[in-house]
Amino acid sequence: MDKLIQDLKVQIIAQLNLQDLKPEDIGDDQPLFVEGLGLDSIDALELIVLLQKQYKIKLSNAEDGPKVFRSVRTMAEYIMEHQPQIS
Amino acid sequence: MKLYIRATGNISPQKTFGHPAFLTQPVEHFGNRLNAVEPDYKSFIDVKQIRRMSRIIKMGVAAAMECLQEAGVEIPGAIVTGTAYGCLEDTGIFLTKIVEQHEELLAPTAFIQSTHNTVGAQIALLLHCNGYNNVFVHRGFSFESAMLDAMLLLKEGETDNVLVGGLDEITGISHAILTRFGLYKREPVANFDLFTRSSKGTIAGEGAAFFLLASQSSLNDYAQLDGLTSFYKPADIKETENHILSFLSIQSILPAEIDLVITGRNGNVKDDRVYDSLEQSVFKHIDSVNYKQLCGEYPTSVSFALWLAANILKSGTVPAILGYSGNKGNEIKKILIYHQAQNIHHSLLLISAC
Repeated sequence: MDKLIQDLKVQIIAQLNLQDLKPEDIGDDQPLFVEGLGLDSIDALELIVLLQKQYKIKLSNAEDGPKVFRSVRTMAEYIMEHQPQIS
Repeated sequence: MKLYIRATGNISPQKTFGHPAFLTQPVEHFGNRLNAVEPDYKSFIDVKQIRRMSRIIKMGVAAAMECLQEAGVEIPGAIVTGTAYGCLEDTGIFLTKIVEQHEELLAPTAFIQSTHNTVGAQIALLLHCNGYNNVFVHRGFSFESAMLDAMLLLKEGETDNVLVGGLDEITGISHAILTRFGLYKREPVANFDLFTRSSKGTIAGEGAAFFLLASQSSLNDYAQLDGLTSFYKPADIKETENHILSFLSIQSILPAEIDLVITGRNGNVKDDRVYDSLEQSVFKHIDSVNYKQLCGEYPTSVSFALWLAANILKSGTVPAILGYSGNKGNEIKKILIYHQAQNIHHSLLLISAC
């Protein structure tokens, strides 16, 4: 799980071009949107693409988005739930 | 009704951003590509916003912000941009990904940012400007059309100030394609030697120049904007001459009353024939200078010419790099910009000292 969280932080920074951030700047439970990293709806689309491209996971229910993308940890939990071989 | 150029902001292959001394340290480029001299954008644009912006968006937004800052205007009455190529870098990224990823799992950012209205939209978003916002994508008339729209908005009283800009960028892909089309010189050339050799092709350029046009004088304006016109594919040089004379007649001036013509010569023997002919006829007794050795060739380069003309009038000096002979010896009060691209898109812009 810790490795997955680390990998996700690196991938999020690259996918969203968060130029001034390092992986260690993103807290595991820090909210990704609004008051946390300040991501927006375009970033949400980028994160959906990231999940599909890197982990072959398609977000089947759009309403799950806010829960799945709340923090890096919730993303990692969702990935492990759908791809248990990744840990 | 008089219109005024109240402020400018320009990012170009010369040191023009931040209002430094007026072209006293011209930048020499080698090859056939003049890249813009770009500032550190983080001083002007929020870091969170920058991450999604390609080069042309940053150039456009920063030039626009500088222009508004100089004008002391927080939110303009309208934003009008002209661009022929739009956001080419994002377009290239998006199209490349379509091919590489077999049309699947395409990231949205490059697509969203690739549209031609992105720069105008970004400026409006950053300023929270809900006013009129339009972009003109008309090849060699893109900037001229934006200017015309801005002038109409002011003349019809829709607003009393308009932010108007012209911008285009070169990317690796566009430069390679346009080189293949034969637009650029095959041999390396220094930009300041552009007019000393007689060969085919020109040098690529790019830039973003913005202007705050106003319907009322601020008493500190760059220049007065007298008129603009454009004409398409004239049949021969006679028709071109007639268009120019007709424009001057509408402006109620004679050719002899123009103090300086700024021409769009680009060093391509084929394109420059038109200017050669005009310098033997309607422009025969008028001093002229060229500008594309400074900024290169791009479809909205007239915006650079307008910036140049406005600064000549405001400063009362012609930069030495332009090689102005000053034969007439009189003060420059009226400048005509005449530009044509491949003898297809022709435009005329007349401005005068306030």
